[in-house]
Amino acid sequence: MTQPLLSLRGLGIRFGGLVAVDDVDFDLPPSHITCIIGPNGAGKSTLFNLITGIYKPGSGRVLLDGQDITGLPPHQIAAKGVARTFQSSRLFEDLSILDNVMIGMHSRTKTSVLSALLTPRRARRELDACAEEASAILRSLSEELYMRRYEPAGILPQADRRRLEIARALALHPRLILLDEPSSGMDDRDTADLMNDIRRVMRENPGLSFLIIEHDMRLVAELPDDVIVIDYGKKIAQGQFADVRLLPRVQQAYLGQKAVEHA
Amino acid sequence: MAMTATHTHAPAAFPSALIVIAAEVLGAALLWGLLEANSTPVVLALLGVMGAGFALMQIRPQIEDIIVGAFRAARGVALWVGILIVLTYPILLGANTYAMHLVIVALLYSVLALALNFQLGSANIPNFATGATYGIGAYTSALLAIHFGLSMWATLPAAALVATAFGFLLGIPSMRTRDSYLALVTIAFGIVIHQMLNNLSWTGGPNGLVGIPAPSLFGHSFMQPIQFAGIRLPPQANFYYLALALLGLAILSAKRLHESRIGLAWNAIRADELAARSQGINVAWYKILAFAVDAFLAAFAGTIYAFYVSYISPDNFTFLVSVTIMTMVIVGGMDNTFGVIVGAFLLTLLPEKLRIFSDYRLLFVSVVVILFLILRPKGLFPQRQRHYGAHK
Repeated sequence: MTQPLLSLRGLGIRFGGLVAVDDVDFDLPPSHITCIIGPNGAGKSTLFNLITGIYKPGSGRVLLDGQDITGLPPHQIAAKGVARTFQSSRLFEDLSILDNVMIGMHSRTKTSVLSALLTPRRARRELDACAEEASAILRSLSEELYMRRYEPAGILPQADRRRLEIARALALHPRLILLDEPSSGMDDRDTADLMNDIRRVMRENPGLSFLIIEHDMRLVAELPDDVIVIDYGKKIAQGQFADVRLLPRVQQAYLGQKAVEHA
Repeated sequence: MAMTATHTHAPAAFPSALIVIAAEVLGAALLWGLLEANSTPVVLALLGVMGAGFALMQIRPQIEDIIVGAFRAARGVALWVGILIVLTYPILLGANTYAMHLVIVALLYSVLALALNFQLGSANIPNFATGATYGIGAYTSALLAIHFGLSMWATLPAAALVATAFGFLLGIPSMRTRDSYLALVTIAFGIVIHQMLNNLSWTGGPNGLVGIPAPSLFGHSFMQPIQFAGIRLPPQANFYYLALALLGLAILSAKRLHESRIGLAWNAIRADELAARSQGINVAWYKILAFAVDAFLAAFAGTIYAFYVSYISPDNFTFLVSVTIMTMVIVGGMDNTFGVIVGAFLLTLLPEKLRIFSDYRLLFVSVVVILFLILRPKGLFPQRQRHYGAHK
């Protein structure tokens, strides 16, 4: 069996008396899409924050390509190739669309304060090269974003904000992208575009995997290779969506005990 | 090619070069008017003219775009005409040494405001301790010059190193806090430094340090007037050119950092710290770097100030100085080099020229800040988006 790209082993965190994530085990192979589903407040976003280092796990380990990254600061985890988007999209609102993507390249560029001051040509060349690559990334995702690349990111409508966040994530040259509810605020056509974008990005970047928190069941049914279900911080099921949705425990998590009995 | 020019300018009614020259001459003339004005009504009238100009730009943003576009199109002309104006400015002021003094102080404050701009403007770090690092620079070089006989040129790097070390020292504990708590830490640091300067014996206590020797360059003492091609300039002109050189250095540093991944990372931190961390930016380190760069430049300004007035005391480096520097950045325009310099000049000259309001100085500063936050929240000259490649 190939080495999993991401492995969680007994991962958990508690906030005071609340156990937000509890003993989660999970393997994500390379070139794989997994969706995380579960009711609101089940701990899905907390799980993302544990993987990306925003929270330090209370227990368990996070392995990336077999390497222990548990408890590393977020910027180091990002530099190792873990990119993410946020539930409420977090763009650099007052900077241009192009700058937003270029900031995603931070960990791949090198200029220090001294070299920026003493060898400005090299710093400028580095930034120009970033601008060129960022333009290409934008263009591959959306011609419109590319045309508007010098406008501030803050004025974009919701679907384009998501798209820009994905462009920024791609700029990191990631091995793993975590998307937190990418389709929220999108209509059906935008969601279909989103799925096409993800599929195309997967084709163009062999080995790249996606971990996606999603509520839109159409996307969950069509896109991922498998799904995991989280409830009260625990992983309660994993498998194909078509199978998982029939499990009584999953139906209980979504609909409640009574409803399942009546169904 | 991916980076073809999309911003071609429509043929303007005036060539860009003319607009640029007119704007620069007008700016220099306004400054000259402010410097030479002796009565409050004249000063107020000049302020009225400037206010009307900005009001016009606020109502009709096209005018602003045309001027900005002209400066972008005629960069070379703008640079050389600007250099010519600032080099010949002392001739214009002639024997008016008071006006010359004000310009030198304004130049030094411009450097300080640019130093703070790395933090406040680029990365949104509210640092109220620029006055303190300014003082550390001034005291370090004054002490070295008085006790060890070092020349100003030798004390410049020494003062910068000491102040940068203090900048790191302040930066590290500051990383444990943010926003208003961070501001409190920097205020405390500023007060501690001020109290130490006031109470230590080797800093001269409240009396400060006197008798800082005048610097010289290639045998030309800075106490001597400048005589060149039949033009005779007062001794202050030496320090005018020195401060100007320092401001040039500060502008160059600001431009180079802004146009590198460092400036981009600072801007990312300003916009959204959490998102910045998730892009691989070491937020704590970049904040500490901003403290260090601020201290480095402030120390240069402090050194030149100390040698210029040849006498320094703790009162030159109070909390109020830090607040004034912060106001300059806010009024001028966050993360816009030119705007910050305009802010520094305005806030240096106005309190001097409007002496009748001198009892209400703090009130004046607060009213100015509040007015700006309401009317033009991004300052006189807001930050412009970066452009890359062929068309900058």
